[in-house]
Order: sequence, then structure tokens, then C-alpha cells
Amino acid sequence: MKIIDTCGAPPPADGRVEAREKVTGSGKYAAEYPVEEVCYGVFAVSTLAAGKLKSVKVEKAKEAEGVIEILTHLNKPVVSGFSDETKIRESRLGLAVFHTDRIFFKGQPIALVVARTLEEATYAASLVEGEYEAGPFELDFDKARRKATLASTGREKGSPEAWSQAAATVEAEYTIAAEIHNPMEMHATIAHWVAADRLKLYDKNQGVNNVQRTVGRVFEIPAENIEVFSEFVGGGFGSGLRVWSNTLAAAMAAKMVKRPVKLMLTRPQMFMLTGYRPASWQKVKLGADREGRFLGGWHQAMNGTSTYEDFNEWITGVTRLIYHIPNLKTEGALVPLNLSTPTWMRGPGDCTGDFAIESAIDELSYVLNMDPVALRLKNTAIDKHPNNGLPWSTNYMNECIETGARMIGWEKRPSKPLQLLEGDWATGYGMAVGAWNAGRGYASAGIVMQKDGSVSVRTAMTDIGTGTGTGMRNIAHEVTGIPKNRITIELGHSSLPAAPSQGGSTGLSSVSGAVVAVSNDLKTRLAEYAAGINPAFQGLKADEVQLTDKGIALKTNPGAVVSYHQIWEKNDLKSLELEASSGPGEERQKFAFCSTSAHFAKLRVNRRTGRVKVEKYVCVADGGKIINAQAAANQMSGAVTGGIGMALMEEMLIDARVGGLIANDLAGYHFAVNADTPVIEVAFINKPDVNINPSGAKGLGEVGIIGVAAAITNAIYNATGKRLRDLPVTPDKIIA
Amino acid sequence: MTKHQYSRRFFLRSSVAFTALAALPAGVKAFYVDVENVVLPPKQTLPLKIKVNKREYEVLADSRTTLLDLLRENLGLTGSKKGCDHGQCGACTVHINGERVLSCLTLAAMVPGQEVTTIEGLAEGNELHPMQQAFIECDGFQCGYCTPGQIMAAVACVKEGRTGSVEEIKEFMSGNLCRCGAYNGIVQSIQKVAAQ
Repeated sequence: MKIIDTCGAPPPADGRVEAREKVTGSGKYAAEYPVEEVCYGVFAVSTLAAGKLKSVKVEKAKEAEGVIEILTHLNKPVVSGFSDETKIRESRLGLAVFHTDRIFFKGQPIALVVARTLEEATYAASLVEGEYEAGPFELDFDKARRKATLASTGREKGSPEAWSQAAATVEAEYTIAAEIHNPMEMHATIAHWVAADRLKLYDKNQGVNNVQRTVGRVFEIPAENIEVFSEFVGGGFGSGLRVWSNTLAAAMAAKMVKRPVKLMLTRPQMFMLTGYRPASWQKVKLGADREGRFLGGWHQAMNGTSTYEDFNEWITGVTRLIYHIPNLKTEGALVPLNLSTPTWMRGPGDCTGDFAIESAIDELSYVLNMDPVALRLKNTAIDKHPNNGLPWSTNYMNECIETGARMIGWEKRPSKPLQLLEGDWATGYGMAVGAWNAGRGYASAGIVMQKDGSVSVRTAMTDIGTGTGTGMRNIAHEVTGIPKNRITIELGHSSLPAAPSQGGSTGLSSVSGAVVAVSNDLKTRLAEYAAGINPAFQGLKADEVQLTDKGIALKTNPGAVVSYHQIWEKNDLKSLELEASSGPGEERQKFAFCSTSAHFAKLRVNRRTGRVKVEKYVCVADGGKIINAQAAANQMSGAVTGGIGMALMEEMLIDARVGGLIANDLAGYHFAVNADTPVIEVAFINKPDVNINPSGAKGLGEVGIIGVAAAITNAIYNATGKRLRDLPVTPDKIIA
Repeated sequence: MTKHQYSRRFFLRSSVAFTALAALPAGVKAFYVDVENVVLPPKQTLPLKIKVNKREYEVLADSRTTLLDLLRENLGLTGSKKGCDHGQCGACTVHINGERVLSCLTLAAMVPGQEVTTIEGLAEGNELHPMQQAFIECDGFQCGYCTPGQIMAAVACVKEGRTGSVEEIKEFMSGNLCRCGAYNGIVQSIQKVAAQ
């Protein structure tokens, strides 16, 4: 096993492929492309939570200096994909911006002011007023959930009677406040119609091909007529997996004013216009025998959604993923509220469900008077997927747990609360685990080689900060032998080889297969050319040759080299372009795949002020082969940082009487700052999963956050004896 | 400071005026509009001479333009990032006369006569600033959007001598948010440069 300590490891001298652009500020994010004649759009939004928009008073705004046009539902150019209710439904976009007079939530765009400058547009937007017919609204999740009806979320296993006499049982309710992705770059679009049916979009998103398809469907133009640039993406965490109103409205406005329009959401608008993790309620009942073997479980869950679209987080899925629970019932329900539609946020569903399950197991460990590590090791389903019965291709959950316990110094954990006291401070240890079904999508990658032996490896996939590009370079280097400094990466552009959106921890898992395939194709193709010059290369397979900075060589005889120069001259080549695709196959019928993580926290709680100080945090993960150790560790510690925010501070604040959000900016919505986190220690199992894809890498993005919240609250219990089941655990809850 | 100085008291006074006016009955609205036009005058442009990264710019700036928007939208210097536009995230951090400042809370009209340095002005030609190099080597970022602000703040943090411990670095870098959570690498980068 390889332990990668992000602080002690010698940094690779080369860093990420895009590092220089990022540290010099030269990388262009969506709103930063220079576009001639660009003008600025700013949304005016609804001040009401529900009802009908009777009219929009734009007269005052129109008189403001610099205003070019004001787009509303009354004067918009009708977009064909939104022309009637059926088409709006089929668009699956939820909110048909400017194509409805219904108000679904406070903060819904009612007008887009387009002006010559940002200042002019911002000022004029403040002068727009909606006239409404107010309707009834509901934003109180806790109240509304009592009217929801639970329904089964999966096949029931066994029966409730079978464990009614369990030696130890726990039963409790858990809630989590809605959280907002809040990537540092606010969602932004520059829309530029270069012809009547050809659109250029500089857009912040996590999948350029998805944007192409979606916008193409709405405007009813071929997807390939839409060119999407997303070469630098300032974070996503799921918010970039859908196409939102900023992209559509910018395109509509640009069409109307016949000029490129730039629209960047404001930070307060980010709270309602790009999704969020919905508020949730859960109830978990768990029973075990005297030895700690799980006998039965009952997991109920509800999550908030909007009134115009259903979003199901599938919270109970994780209960069917980590442990063997012979008798298991899971149920779920949706709770419509007058908010915008939620969406996937890092570790969707599993992260939520895991908090309840991993808290319940911790509670059970105290009832059984058993170490929570031992209790978990007794029940982890490491032989097969507990839901579909397929054997795991690889599952190193137990190794993750054992390694993490060693790294945190678990033997120092007191077996009951309130043992480590020092003045007002109480110290405690907590742990939890996480898992994620490791997916893979169908992706393509291309290679373009020049006569000088330099190559460009390319895909349409975005890199939202996960290190996809660097991973691609590392794989191409490893497969071909071409030095890293001769490999450049192009990504995040719709004309490049197609790839799925970067989400659900499938990015590198999907594209790595295509990079391996195209790298091998390059070797075989060059061997064929080389054979025309040196017969020793006749009929060689990819793994029998090696590429260098100069040419192609035999693996068995590295002295036998045919130079790229020779190949290019002889075949009169300009450049060599190859493309390959790769996707999941029948291995998915034979095996189940998962990434796993174990989380350990040591923290101090001030029993007088309720302050929590995380002192040491260890995260051990299995993500198959680690392609890029430094970036992977960074991604994991970042996910833990997100989890610390989820556990202790992140909360969408709602005034249910007024019908809208309050404190919707970064002063009101707290996520973890530098001082809120310790230096987070990360380790990987780092063993390839040979079945998932040719690179052996499984995804990591989600599994790093799944389990963090429970590890923290379990540690708070170990420190103080307070079982806190409602996130975020703000100081008031601790001292209450 | 130049004569274009807007004090905190000015803002407090004007917001008190607005609050009071908002509470008035509809009949007094005409008066309200008059007052609004006095307090929030329509667009005014100002000719400004501004020095950014040792280069002089002559611009006609909207009196409402922040330094951040001037840099990003008028001067083509998009390295300084907009993450909140409210002084809450630090992504727009630049140096004014060598000190870290939030450019989104600085009006363009406040900077004539001052030395503004942005991330684009940190390197000497192709030679990266040691902090930029450290961020690459320690992987002090993921998506890179907060990075220019982090680096400008980090350079100032070292200059201010706030690098005595991991805790001190973390405290003095907490005005710069990173949603990717690349704090491990950020701290490590600063330690590295502070030790040089």
C-alpha cells in the first residue's frame, strides 16, 4: 500500500498541465473570452414566491442610459423548443425561462436587462418591477414533509418480523439543511450567434456536449451548429451538470439584440438559479444481535424538490451498498416547495443517506458497547454487492478502515464520552465510511502527432479542477513512452472527440479508457509506417513498441529506431490524427464496482461556546489505480473540506413567511475556510481495478465527501455525549 | 487617497436615508424619487489615469465601476476573479501599493496615483514569482478560479510575516475562500516560500 501524504510527498516538478495558466491568471473562464461588440445582461428576479406574473414594468429601466433591450416573457422571441406546454415538458429543463407567466419561486428571472456596460445593466435591472397576482406558497420543509407519502425505493429483503427480537436496536430521525454548491466561479455565459442558426457559447458547465444537445433541442437547431467553449471551469460540484437559465437567456437575448451577450449570475442568484442539495429528513431503524451482526434495517427518507419538477436524490441507495443487512426495507418521498429545482451535488443521495446510516451504526456501537471499527468490519459487504448480488471487481473497504484507524491513532479513542477533558474543551474521536457505485461512460479521445514527435491528446470532456487533463497526459505518457513535456492536452471544447459530462465520479474512469485505446492505436499505426522503412517492425503489436521523443523503437531492442522524421517524409504526412472510443461492456454483467472511503476525525469541542475544532482528519480511499497522486490527494482533502462544511456550517437559510432565501451570499452562507480545517491526511489503497477500464482507475470525486459528516458528529458524541442528528451542527445546537 | 473618496460614513448615512424613505407613505414617493436622483445620480463618467502592473492606462470610467470590473471588462486583465462582488470571498485580491486589497470593494475612481499590481504583473517576464512556482509544485489549487486571489494574498501574507505556524497561515489566509478545498496545498506553498 502506498500512503500519500500531501504535505510530505515530494512534489512532481511538472505540476498540472494547465498549472501555468492557473497561477498566472491567463486561463480563460467562461466570462473572460474577448468577444467583439459584447454587451451585458443582468437578471431582474421575482420578489414573490408563487403566483402569476401579470406584467413587468420596464419603462423606468428602459430610460436608463445604455440600455439596449429588456427581455421578458411578454416580448421574448419565442424559442421553438419552448413554444407550448408539451414541448416545455419534453425539454426536461424544468424552468422555461421567459416562456411562462407562472412564478414558482422567489428569485426566478422575470426580465433580462441588456445594456452596453455591466454597470448600466446592473443599475437598470434594479429599476425593473414585476406586477404579480400572488399565490399560496410553502417553503417550510419540516411542515410540508408531514403531508408526503412514503413509497418503496427498492425490493424489500426479508421481513420486519425476522428482526423484531434483535438484541440491540436503535431508531432515530436525522435532518440535513439544503446546501448550495457555490463553486467559486459564478455561472456565466457569453452567447454569440455567428449566423441565424449557428451559436457560439462560452459557458460554465461540466459537459460541453450536454450543453450542445440541450441548447440545440430548445432552439431546434442541430447540436453541431452550437460550439461550446468550457476550457477552464471554476468548480462545479454538480451545479454544471444541467443547462440553466443563464445559458438560455443569454442565447435568447443575443438573438434579440443581434449582438453577443455576456451574462454572469450574481452570487445571491447562484443560490436559486443553479441547483442545490435539497433539504432532507430521514428515519433509520437498525437492529443487531449481541455479537454486532446486523439483523435488520428500515430506512425512510424524504427530500425537497420544486413545485414544477421532481428531483429525487435517492437517499436510501447507500443503505443497499455498504453492508449486508438481511432484512431491509427502504422508502422515500419527495416534498415540493416553492424553491427552484435542486440538483446533484457532490455525492448526491449517498452523502445524505450515509450520514443517517453511519450515525445510526455509531449509536448502535454504544448500545452494544462495541468498538465502531469492529462493528463495521463485522458487517461490510466486501464479497458482493448487497443489492444485486454481483461479486465486487474490487472492494477494499476493510483495508481503508484498518489503515485509517492506524493513521488517526484509533487506540487512543475513549470507549465512552466525556473522557478527554481539558477546561471547557472535550476531545473525541469519530469515524464513518462511504461508498459510491463506480460508473463509467462511453467516451472518445483523440491524438494528433506532429513531425517533431509532439502530441496533443484531446477530448471534449471538461476539467473542473479534478486533474482530468493531467491524468490524460500521465496515461498517454505511460502507454506510449512519449515524454510528458512533449504531450499537450486540449479539452473542454465541443468540436473535440465527444465525451460525457464530468460528474458522478466517472470522468477519468470514462475518458482514461479512450486515452489508452488511442495511445495504443498511435503505436500500432506508427509501427505499420515504420515497417515500410525497417522490416523489423512488421506486424508488431502496440505493446511490442515504445515511442520516444525522436521516433518509434522496438521494446526488445531499443536501439532499433525509426524516426518520426523518416515516417513523415516517406509517407508525406502533415500530421497524424487518430481517434478512439471506449465504454463499459459485459464486465458490468459479471462484476459490481465501487469506490470506498474511510473517514476518521479527532476533534475538540468547547462545551461552553459550542465551537468545534477539527484537530486531525484522516481519509483513506480506494479509487483503484491512482493516476495522478498529488491531484487525487488534493481532490480527497477538498472533498473532506466540503464535508466539514456540510457537518458544521452549510445551510440554506429560508424565511418561510416571506417565502424566500435570506443571507444568500458568502457572508451569510458559510463553507469551510482555511482556518476551519486541519491539514487533512489522505491515503490511497492504490491497487488497479483491472475490470473497470484499461487504466484501472475508479472515480474519487464523490467518495471523498461521503462519510465526512457522520465522522464529525460521531466524534462530537464521543467528546461530549451529545448525539446531534440535525446538520449543520452549529454551536447553538451543541450548547443547547 | 485622492479627492474621490467615499467614506464608510457616506454609505451609512445614505442607507439610513433609504431605510427612512422606504417607510414613508406612497404620497411622499415623488419626493423620494427626487432624493434618489440626488443620492444615486445617473451615470457619470470620469477620465482616470490608472497605473496597473507598471503600465499607465487612460480610461473614461463609469463612476460606479469597481477596480475589479475595470480590470476585467475594460483593460482585459481577467486574471483577477469575481467570486462574489461583495468582499466576501477574496478571489479579486490585488495589491495596491504592495498591500492586499479587495478590488471588488475598491472603486476605480479611488486608484489614480496608486500602484496596482494584479496576478498578471506578478511574474517577471517568463520567470514566475516564487509563490506562483510554489502553487504549481504544491498543487495549491484545483479549478484555479480562486488561485490568483490566493496567490496575491499569499504573497502579502509572507510579506506581513504571518507565517509563523500552520495555524497562523490558515488564519491569515481565511479571507480567501476555496470551494475545491485546496487548503493543504495553499498552506504548503506559503510555508515553502516563507522558508526561502
